[in-house]
Amino acid sequence: MPVRSPSRPFVVFERFFVLTALLISSLFLSGCGVNTIPTLDEQVNAAWAQVENQYKRRADLVPNLVETVKGYAKHENQTLKDVIEARAKATSVTLSPQMLSDPEAVKNFEQSQSQLGGALARLMVVAEQYPNLKANDNFIALQSQLEGTENRIAVARRDYIAAVQTYNTQVRTFPGLIWAKIYGAKPKQTFAAPEGAENAPAVKFN
Amino acid sequence: MRQRLLILLLALLLWPMAARAEPAFPALSGRVVDDAALLTLENRALLNDTLQRHEQMTGEQFVVVTVPDLQGMPIEDFGYQLGRHWGIGQKGRDNGALLIVAPNDRQTRLEIGYGLEDRLTDAASALIINRVMLPAFRAGDFNKGIVEGTQAALSVLGGTTSEQLAAQLPPNEDQDDPLPWPVIVLLILFYFMIVRSRRSGSVMGPIILGSTLGRSSRRGGFGGGGFRGSGGGFGGGGASGRW
Repeated sequence: MPVRSPSRPFVVFERFFVLTALLISSLFLSGCGVNTIPTLDEQVNAAWAQVENQYKRRADLVPNLVETVKGYAKHENQTLKDVIEARAKATSVTLSPQMLSDPEAVKNFEQSQSQLGGALARLMVVAEQYPNLKANDNFIALQSQLEGTENRIAVARRDYIAAVQTYNTQVRTFPGLIWAKIYGAKPKQTFAAPEGAENAPAVKFN
Repeated sequence: MRQRLLILLLALLLWPMAARAEPAFPALSGRVVDDAALLTLENRALLNDTLQRHEQMTGEQFVVVTVPDLQGMPIEDFGYQLGRHWGIGQKGRDNGALLIVAPNDRQTRLEIGYGLEDRLTDAASALIINRVMLPAFRAGDFNKGIVEGTQAALSVLGGTTSEQLAAQLPPNEDQDDPLPWPVIVLLILFYFMIVRSRRSGSVMGPIILGSTLGRSSRRGGFGGGGFRGSGGGFGGGGASGRW
């Protein structure tokens, strides 16, 4: 006995049903998105705060480091001066979380920090030439703190990049796209190249 | 509509690939993960007991891990990613630490969780590695280096300052009992304070950075003694050494 789908009304109902289901599920999907962007936004901000913390930590090490090196390497005035100047510049350029979608501001911040990184790396190379300095306990401690901080910076930067990637994906792909429009959420800037810990102590002679 | 659905589908499909590629981390088989087979059975047991006692007193998780090599990664990257992968330390307190030894790469590292960084500082970690561990490793004595390095790290966590540690070092006497009893009493008090504060629910929210940390923290491994990570966070603190 063949089963026939009997009446047209049922087919109509079925179509209607599918449409409603689609509508409801799409509403539900975007409903899920209400909190996603603010949540991800907060995560980016937290990751950014960590990046800033670690850079600040590095800047805080500088005065003590400069003092210690000065005691042993009096002739390295220029290198020391470079470090002090780079630190002053790096601490004066700050970046609030609201500015993270501004490419210029992020680039500026990056530049000032990498200048300090470079100046510090040169200072550490110079320090290598002073055996008494290298044997100084205070200097050894500062050196390990600087290495540790460079490593923390690398980790914090990677975490920030990952958080921004998640955020940007959300802002640029379908359900989030709509919410991003409503919130006025813009993609955030990520870092160009990670300033890895493995690169930090290495020094280029230009 | 179709295009959007397609994009959505693609995004979903590509999602796992977007996650950071992780190296093959060893399984968390206990507080001592000796994958490079450097330790004698006695020392493994000794370390395990010491570390277990330390955790019972303080809640801090310290794991000794040896791997043959680092799979081509810098030890600094391997360290914090392994710490996050295992979730060593308590969630919210981030009080975990790893001692990593990779004999084939001739590298070692103390990886310190956020919550222990102020006591086991980079400088203290470097001191332990350079003056306690590396000399033994250079002499080929991994057992001595790892056991004494661990004891030194625990004693610093228990309140020994870097200066005191440095003063103890040159004669290199065996420090079987690194914790004086007033410290133990304090630690026990501290432990109860924490237990109470955790019960009352005043646990500070951890700053979850990125997606990896949040995801991996609940994935702590199981092991012989039912040991597992409790979701501690790592931010790259510590020190490394080569020999």
